[in-house]
Amino acid sequence: MKSLIENSKVLVCVGSGGVGKTTVASSLALLGAQLGKRVLVLTVDPAQRLKTTMGIEEGQEAVEIKGHQITGQLFASVIDPKKTFDEFVMRASSQPERVKKILNNKLYVQLSTTLSGSQEFTALEKLYSSFESGKYDLIVLDTPPTKHAIDFLKAPQKLAALFTEGVAKWFRDPKATQQNFFLGLLQSGTKQVLKTLEALTGSDFMKELADFFQNIEQWQGQLEKRAGDVHSLLVSPTTSFVLITSFDEAKLKEAEYFSKEIKQGGYRLSALIINRAFPFWIQSGEQLQSKSPKVMNLYMQMKDYYQKREESFSRFSIRMNQQAKILRLPEMREDVSDISGVELLAKYIQEAK
Amino acid sequence: MIKSFQQEIIFVTGKGGVGKSAVAAGIALKRSKEGKKTLLVELGYQSFYTDYFAEQLKAPVAFSPVRVTDNLDVALWSGPECLREYAIYLLKSESIYKLFFENSVSKALINVAPALPELAITGKITSGPRHVGPPLRYDVIVVDAFATGHFLALLKAPQGMAEAIQFGPMGDQSRSIDKVLKDSNQCKYFIVSLPEELPTAESLELAEGIEKTLGAKPVIVMNKMLPVEVTPHEGASDFEKFLTNSQQRQNQALSLLGGRPLQKISFCFQNDSWKVVESISQEINL
Ligand SMILES: Nc1ncnc2c1ncn2[C@@H]1O[C@H](COP(=O)(O)OP(=O)(O)OP(=O)(O)O)[C@@H](O)[C@H]1O
Ligand SMILES: Nc1ncnc2c1ncn2[C@@H]1O[C@H](COP(=O)(O)OP(=O)(O)OP(=O)(O)O)[C@@H](O)[C@H]1O
Ligand SMILES: [Mg+2]
Ligand SMILES: [Mg+2]
Repeated sequence: MKSLIENSKVLVCVGSGGVGKTTVASSLALLGAQLGKRVLVLTVDPAQRLKTTMGIEEGQEAVEIKGHQITGQLFASVIDPKKTFDEFVMRASSQPERVKKILNNKLYVQLSTTLSGSQEFTALEKLYSSFESGKYDLIVLDTPPTKHAIDFLKAPQKLAALFTEGVAKWFRDPKATQQNFFLGLLQSGTKQVLKTLEALTGSDFMKELADFFQNIEQWQGQLEKRAGDVHSLLVSPTTSFVLITSFDEAKLKEAEYFSKEIKQGGYRLSALIINRAFPFWIQSGEQLQSKSPKVMNLYMQMKDYYQKREESFSRFSIRMNQQAKILRLPEMREDVSDISGVELLAKYIQEAK
Repeated sequence: MIKSFQQEIIFVTGKGGVGKSAVAAGIALKRSKEGKKTLLVELGYQSFYTDYFAEQLKAPVAFSPVRVTDNLDVALWSGPECLREYAIYLLKSESIYKLFFENSVSKALINVAPALPELAITGKITSGPRHVGPPLRYDVIVVDAFATGHFLALLKAPQGMAEAIQFGPMGDQSRSIDKVLKDSNQCKYFIVSLPEELPTAESLELAEGIEKTLGAKPVIVMNKMLPVEVTPHEGASDFEKFLTNSQQRQNQALSLLGGRPLQKISFCFQNDSWKVVESISQEINL
């Protein structure tokens, strides 16, 4: 793990919901700072207590975290999707009066906060602008909770498809296209589509939609450029992906599928972290002698359960260890909800075989 | 016999990885064993249950329901597919639909148009009581829904749309969907949680979010509870210390809940997924 941290400029932590992306990202960042680097960790929606103990808040600029055997520097920041998206819109717009219009569009409000890849987009946007600033040796990116890790990588494409597929053209001022015969033809075709859509949704909705697309059309150039820049950063040799997964058959299978997708996308998957893989007591190898038959029974059941998992893990690691370095982290005794928990986990990451 | 039957709609949500899919399946299995025709629905583009129920299923899970066991079917619904079905139902013609929607431009639009997929999904889920769209002949629909934030977005979409769009079919549909979601005789909400401090705090936040959005009172399901009581004693083994510690954490988490409706599900130490689901179905109270 040490060499991975030393040789990377960007680490992207991906995985399905709740597996420990935020926790592991923070620990990797701390490790980097302990190795003397200037590190920034960009977190998405961390637990309130983690925020409090690290002293960070949504939308704030990066805050420096002190102490903890840090020989470099550690900065942390929480990504505020709404704010990042709004900022992007403001930068991408050439006309200020349009900015106001779009920020007030009801559909925009929905899009920018909750839907269809905007969180993913803003995480990448924030990553890129932090990278561009040149202030950090290493940036660790935590990613939003997606059902599937790969949604994260597809989101910007989905957003960009809006432009490349020319949806915005539909809603463009019709006069602009009249000079061109073919465009005119297309226009009359799309009119039918719009009429059908209007029959399904109503004119009120269509008005908002048209307004929305007319206003965002001007982002096209910026968005495409940004998507291109972000892509080059993500496939660069100094960027690595860390896939985090929990430990059961279903999730391991999912992890196998993710790693394939990550590789197919041309990204570098360097480590696969199986989080909360086993409880501490299983390692001690003691033979329990308890007077309580209930405790004894539970012990046997659990031992057997983890034994079977061990077997499925062996099969998994035989299939996977060509793909990436595999690390297993223990189930901690406490929630990792503050900096001391992060420190402890960092220690396990460093020591993990 | 014409009887206005009351379809029961059960939503299961919670933080990522806490056991939503397993609990949703357990609830569905319980209802099916009571003799109710039950549909278990997963949302999105990729099926989880295809692998999870590999032993039971004869075909991969798809938009059209496939059989898991007696009285229990499972289906996978994505936004665009729900929208497609709804559009064909309204247009009464598949070919018109194809003409207008099966091109890359329309597809791109449907994929990103704000709130459209969310509306289509909630529309389909509530299509029974609203008598809109192709009939869903089930007594019970159990939805293995999105995780926390995304779930709230799903619930808020109809209300948000209803407010944004005053007139036209879109506004009307949105209002009728919202009404069903808010009807506590019709829809029930379960939040799966783990008996640990942080997940519990998050579940409470979600419960408040659901209450605020819908006025519904969700039930919190504490999943993976460790069953045995131990008393701390001298010379306790690592395992016993682990149990004592887990128990303390569990009790602490439970104490955060106050007087909220609560269900407990034990950790089932089986690596076979069907056994886990069966054990949940026996424990859960509906
Ligand atoms: N190794 C571990 N041992 C014990 N608890 C852990 C461990 N790793 C993470 N946790 C706990 O698991 C929970 C989920 O972790 P975390 O928030 O990092 O996941 P996430 O993948 O970022 O979730 P989301 O997808 O919701 O953003 C937290 O309560 C955290 O404290
Ligand atoms: N009560 C239980 N006892 C034992 N194992 C359980 C229990 N509940 C769930 N599991 C197991 O835990 C794992 C995670 O559960 P599940 O996939 O249902 O979580 P989820 O919340 O749906 O995850 P995701 O957010 O990724 O969709 C599964 O392997 C499941 O079989
Ligand atoms: Mg997180
Ligand atoms: Mg699930």
